[in-house]
Amino acid sequence: MSADHNMTAAKPYDEMHAADGAVRAHYQPYADWLAETPRDRIARKRKEADLAFHRVGITFNVYGAEGGKERLIPFDLLPRIIPGDEWRALEAGLRQRVRALNAFLADIYHGQEILRAGRIPAEQVLNNAQFRAEMQGVDVPGGLYAMIAGIDLVRAAGADGKGEYYVLEDNLRVPSGVSYLLENRKMMMRLFPDLFSRYNVQPVEHYPDLLLETLRAVAPAGVLDPTAVLLTPGAFNSAYFEHSFLAQQMGVELVEGQDLFVKDDTLYMRTTQGPKRVDVIYRRLDDDFLDPEVFRRDSMLGVPGLMSAYRAGRVTLANAVGTGVADDKSIYPYVPEMVRFYLGEEPILNNVPTYMLREPDDLAYTLAHLPELVVKEVHGAGGYGMLVGPAATKAEIEEFRLRILAAPEKYIAQPTLALSTCPTFVDAGIAPRHIDLRPFVLSGGKEIRMVPGGLTRVAMKAGSLVVNSSQGGGTKDTWVVG
Amino acid sequence: MALYDILHDTTYRYESAVSLSQQIAHLRPRECVGQHTLAHRLEIVPTPAQCSERSDFFGNPVTAFALHAPHSQLVVRARSRIRVNAPAWPDPALSPAWEAARDHLRDGLSGHAPLQADARDAGQYRFASPFVPLGDEAVTYADYALQCFTPGRPLLEALLALSAQIHADFRFDPAATSVATPVAEVFAARRGVCQDFSHLTIACLRALGLAARYVSGYLLTEPPPGQPRLIGADASHAWVALWSPGLGWIDIDPTNAMQPGVGHITLAWGRDYGDVCPLRGVILGGGGHAVDVAVTVMPVEDEAPGGADAPD
Repeated sequence: MSADHNMTAAKPYDEMHAADGAVRAHYQPYADWLAETPRDRIARKRKEADLAFHRVGITFNVYGAEGGKERLIPFDLLPRIIPGDEWRALEAGLRQRVRALNAFLADIYHGQEILRAGRIPAEQVLNNAQFRAEMQGVDVPGGLYAMIAGIDLVRAAGADGKGEYYVLEDNLRVPSGVSYLLENRKMMMRLFPDLFSRYNVQPVEHYPDLLLETLRAVAPAGVLDPTAVLLTPGAFNSAYFEHSFLAQQMGVELVEGQDLFVKDDTLYMRTTQGPKRVDVIYRRLDDDFLDPEVFRRDSMLGVPGLMSAYRAGRVTLANAVGTGVADDKSIYPYVPEMVRFYLGEEPILNNVPTYMLREPDDLAYTLAHLPELVVKEVHGAGGYGMLVGPAATKAEIEEFRLRILAAPEKYIAQPTLALSTCPTFVDAGIAPRHIDLRPFVLSGGKEIRMVPGGLTRVAMKAGSLVVNSSQGGGTKDTWVVG
Repeated sequence: MALYDILHDTTYRYESAVSLSQQIAHLRPRECVGQHTLAHRLEIVPTPAQCSERSDFFGNPVTAFALHAPHSQLVVRARSRIRVNAPAWPDPALSPAWEAARDHLRDGLSGHAPLQADARDAGQYRFASPFVPLGDEAVTYADYALQCFTPGRPLLEALLALSAQIHADFRFDPAATSVATPVAEVFAARRGVCQDFSHLTIACLRALGLAARYVSGYLLTEPPPGQPRLIGADASHAWVALWSPGLGWIDIDPTNAMQPGVGHITLAWGRDYGDVCPLRGVILGGGGHAVDVAVTVMPVEDEAPGGADAPD
C-alpha cells in the first residue's frame, strides 16, 4: 500500500465535528456511546485487538527491515463513519471513473482513438514505461482490463466548510489492502457488539464472494464452469497474508508460478490428481514477472508461455497486463477527459487540479508559486523526487527550481490540499489524525460492484499526512451507515 | 533485382536433457517495400509438440513453438527464397531539413498540433526502449549527433554524415561486446558489432527527437575473388531506419556506412534488438549450453521452376 499523501493542512475538514465543535449527526450515536463507555474498557479492548491480530497473523512485511520483518499495522478502534447518501454519490463517481479507465485501456491497446482525437498527447502514452507494446491488438475477455481497482480518495475542506472528495490516485495494477478492510470489521464486531446495535452499518463481508463472481464472469468465452486461482509471488511478498487470506475466503487455490504450466496455449496447475485446467488468474504479481519468455527473463516467479495462452484468449488475467499506463501520474490529469470522451458524461469525482510543467503556462505559474505547491516527479513513486512547498526551506525550493528548469517535462505540480481528519485513539487520549479512503471497485461482465466504504488509512503521527503502512500508518474500520 | 536463397541454422547443444522448451522465433522474413518472400520453411528438430504462426505488434511474422519431450539438442533451420528490388534512395539534398522531422513528431506527439497518422505510427520508435535507454546520457548522444545534424541540414544528408562519422570513430570488433552490452558502454569503448552500431545510431537519432527503428536481417557478403562461397560463413546483420515526413522510413547501415541496397535482406524490425531477436525462449533443465549459428546468403541466378512454392 502506498500513496503520496503530501497535502499540508490549512484548516482540515473534521469528519466527526463541525467547525463550531458540535458533533456531526452521523457521529452522534457514537459520541453518546463514547461518553458512556469507561476509558479503561476501551484500553482493554485495544490490547485484546492487538493479541487477536497477532494470533490470526495479520501482518505486513516491511522491506528493508532486518530479515524481512513482519509487524502489525496499527488498528484504530474509532471508526470512520460515512453517511449513506454521501457514499451513494461516491459510488456513482467510482463506477463512472472505472468505466472510463477501462475504456481508455481498451482504446490505447487497439485503435488509440483518444490519441487520434488529440484529447491526450500521444507521447504521454507512447513514452510511458508502463505502456506495454506487447498488449497492442490483444483482445482481452470482455474488453476489461482493470477488474479490481483501488481508487484513493481524500477529502479536503471546501470553501463552504463542506468536505470535498478528490481522487488522489488510481491503483489499477495489483491494489492491496482489502484484507484489512475485512478483518477490521470482524474485529470491531467482536470487540464492540453493542455499538453495532446503535447503527445500521452496511455489511462488507461479502467482498470475497463479489471478487470470485467477478473473476468467474471474466473467464474466456465458452468456459461454463471456470476455475480461478490466485497467483502470488510467494511468502516473502509484503502482502502475502492478504493473498492467502483472499484465496482461502474465495475457496480457490493459492499458487506460485512453479505450480502452473502452459501446454498447447492452455494453462494448467499441477495437482495431486494430475493437471487441472485454469481459466482465470487473479494475479498479485507485477507484469514484469509474469512470463520470462516475454518480460523479465530472470523472473523465477512467472509462467513461461503464459502470454501466449493469454494472447490466444485461453486464460484471463485479472488485472490485465499493461494497466499501469492508466494509473501513472502523467496520465492522471487526463482521467476527467477520458470520462467525457468515452462516456459523454461530466466527471462526478474531482481530480486534484494538476499543472503539467511541460506546458509553458503551467511551468511559469508553478515557478512563481513553488512555496504553495506540491511538485512531483511524473514517473517517481513513494515520495522520492518530490517538493512539498509549504514544508520546504527556501534553499530546498531554490534547489528544486533548478531541477525543474533542467527538465520541466518530468514534473507535475498540484495545490496543497488539507486532508480531512478523524478522531483517533492516541497515547494522550483522542486526537485528530489525517485519513484517506481506498474503495475497491470490481468490474466483471456488465456490472461494476463494490462493498460500501473501503479501507480507511490513518497517519498515526500528529500532523503527519503519510498514511502508508510502510511508514507506520494505521487503519480504521469504515462504516457506511443508513 | 536480386534473388536469394537464405539458410539460417541455429543449433543448441545442452549438457543435460531439456524437458520443456518454449521458443519464439523471428525467422520468417516480413513482406516490405521492394522485398517479397517466394518461399519459406522452418524445420525444427526434434519436432515440436506445438507450433503456431502469428504477427507481432510491429507486423513481423512470429513462430512460437514448444517442445515437451526431453532432448539434448535443438536445431532450427530456416530456409527462405527472397526477391529484393532495392528501393532507390531519395536525393539527400532534397530531403526536408532535419528539424522539420523533429518538429513534426514533437508537435503531433505532444498535442500541440493535430496528430497525423504517420507521426503516430513513427511515434512508437521515437522514445527510449529497453536496449536503448535515454537517461542522462542522452545529452552526450545528442551532442555527438549534432556534429552532423547542423542547423537546417537536409535530413538524409545529416543521416549519411552521422553514419560516416560512426563508421570512422568506432571499430568493428566482435570480441568487444556481447548481446547485453549497454549502448553507453559501446559509446565509451568505441567498438562493437552491427547490433551495437545500430543501437548507438538509434540512440543518437532519438536523442535529437527523431524516430528510428532497428532492422534485423541479412547481408550478402562477397567471397574473396577466386574463392567459392562458404556455406554458413555469413552472419545475421542489423541496421537502422530513420523516419522522415513525406519520405517515410529510410534505411541506413552504419556498420558499413552505406545505404542498404539489394544485398540487404530484411527479416524484421522493432524498437531495438529485444523486439526482433531471431530466437528467444525459456527452457527447463539443460545445464550449460552451446549455441551455433550458421547463416548463408546465396544469390540465385534465376528462379528455378518449382523452386518456389509461392510464386507471384
